[in-house]
Amino acid sequence: MSGAAQGEPNTTKAVVNDAKNGETMKDQQKPAVTLGEDDEFEDFPVEDWAEEDTEDPGANQHLWEESWDDDDTSDDFAKLLKEELRKVDSSKR
Amino acid sequence: MDTVLYEFRTAIRTSNASLLASTITPAPPAHDPGRLYAILRSTNSYSIEADVRYGLMQNNREISLTKARSAAWLDVYIAYYKVVVVLLDAEEKTNQGKLLEADWNRVYEAWKELVTTLIKGFNAGHFEGWTTPCLYVAVRCLREFAIKADEANTRTKGAITFNSGLQDDVVGALDKNDKLEDAARVINRIFGLCISDRASLDESRKWGVYYITNMMFKTYFKLNSISLSKNILRSLNATASDLPNFALFPKSHQVTFNYYVGVVSFLDEDYTRAESHLAAAHRLCPAVPFAHKNRALILTYLIPCRLLTTHVLPTPSLLAPYPGLQQLFGPLSACVRRGDLAGFDAALVAGEADFVKRRIYLTLERGRDVAVRNLFRKVFLAGGFEPVKDGQGGEAERLRRTRIPLAEFAAAVRVGTRADAREGGAGEGGLEQDEVECMLANLIYKNLMKGYISRAHGMVVLSKAGAFPGTGV
Repeated sequence: MSGAAQGEPNTTKAVVNDAKNGETMKDQQKPAVTLGEDDEFEDFPVEDWAEEDTEDPGANQHLWEESWDDDDTSDDFAKLLKEELRKVDSSKR
Repeated sequence: MDTVLYEFRTAIRTSNASLLASTITPAPPAHDPGRLYAILRSTNSYSIEADVRYGLMQNNREISLTKARSAAWLDVYIAYYKVVVVLLDAEEKTNQGKLLEADWNRVYEAWKELVTTLIKGFNAGHFEGWTTPCLYVAVRCLREFAIKADEANTRTKGAITFNSGLQDDVVGALDKNDKLEDAARVINRIFGLCISDRASLDESRKWGVYYITNMMFKTYFKLNSISLSKNILRSLNATASDLPNFALFPKSHQVTFNYYVGVVSFLDEDYTRAESHLAAAHRLCPAVPFAHKNRALILTYLIPCRLLTTHVLPTPSLLAPYPGLQQLFGPLSACVRRGDLAGFDAALVAGEADFVKRRIYLTLERGRDVAVRNLFRKVFLAGGFEPVKDGQGGEAERLRRTRIPLAEFAAAVRVGTRADAREGGAGEGGLEQDEVECMLANLIYKNLMKGYISRAHGMVVLSKAGAFPGTGV
């Protein structure tokens, strides 16, 4: 049994071993492993936790915001738009 | 083997499920790193049965197992010993770099034997409900060993040219995920074993239903047969009234289940349902290092989901802990907010490979509507207010101009798509009036904008009460 794996839950053991394989099988093994491992939901090493633990320390922070933005009239894009609208407007008169 | 059986007796006497599960785990516990080798040395395949039998009988008084139960556990530990033998062999060879000699198929089959023994024991009623976590170990490792065996088989197939002497012909015919598909069938049986348990709830295997379901999801995702997950969900729905309250299950089961149902709904384009499950997963997932990657995964789907359902974007403080997500969604979000269509398209192209890999490309692409909405909203805001009539109140009652020439929207689209730059000159640009009308009609249809197009006058007439629902104007 590999030393690094000791005491780890089984899931991480698999990862550790794969990393080892990578040393000898670098060319064909590595990319496959990272791709598959990459987007897999991991087993939690702990089964349960208290309700308090789920409280995000940053919960008071603003996490989502509206997708529109009234204030930002200073950037180039907004200026360009203003300009263009003015052109349309003046051509009408 | 003595230590294992000692811990077995302790676990049975005290009904300690996690200790019991650890005695059949094919990895040494933290406090006893040399356990598997000790087991290997303590006995051999001729005397294992007698040894375990003796270990179970000895001090049986303190746990008073019935003969049948004792026999069932005997089978489990004999199977466990066989796993240890082949597993250590495979691991040693792997560590020595002799990858082609490490026989993971044998490990898989040995473990499957143990799992089958467990299933038999549960079916015959020899194992009590509290021992269900043994099934978690069974399923978790079955899946892992199956993946290793499949990987090894792929490897041997690649090397078959110079190693053909050792291989039989069957290997060539094996499917890439042969073992994992086999594992899925076994896990399905265990799912049935849990969900159909008729024992009273405090003694029921039903408490294992979500763990096993999650493993099933995970396996189907790996096999790329995500649609099969729906069969599981159907069975769960059918028995929903018999299951314990979902909120009473361990949080890890809840979070994982919510994540997978969320993603399945997401891929099914049922974004409202996806959002509620993903939001629940996000809420219950602790903000601690061990859950960091899972939180990032939840957000990977929650962010595109919310863009479509409630049209909100992640703030920098939400993305800050996850550089990967920042990279994935940062530029796109900025363009949506500004109504920068060309920037949006460029960001979509730039991230295409990653978006496709995570299966969020199509959803994000639909987010373009929100970007268009924001662009048109700017036109509306730039239009200013109607001249104040006599008798009208102050600022608050001023009406925004709600009749807007189509030409202004066309101009905005030109700016948004940088059509002028592309066409190499100002003026009408490359965009047809029809296209702009089409974009407007789309937004109106999707209720992102309220009003109608008056083609005769070349005007768009917007609603006086909330032209862009949910955006404050």
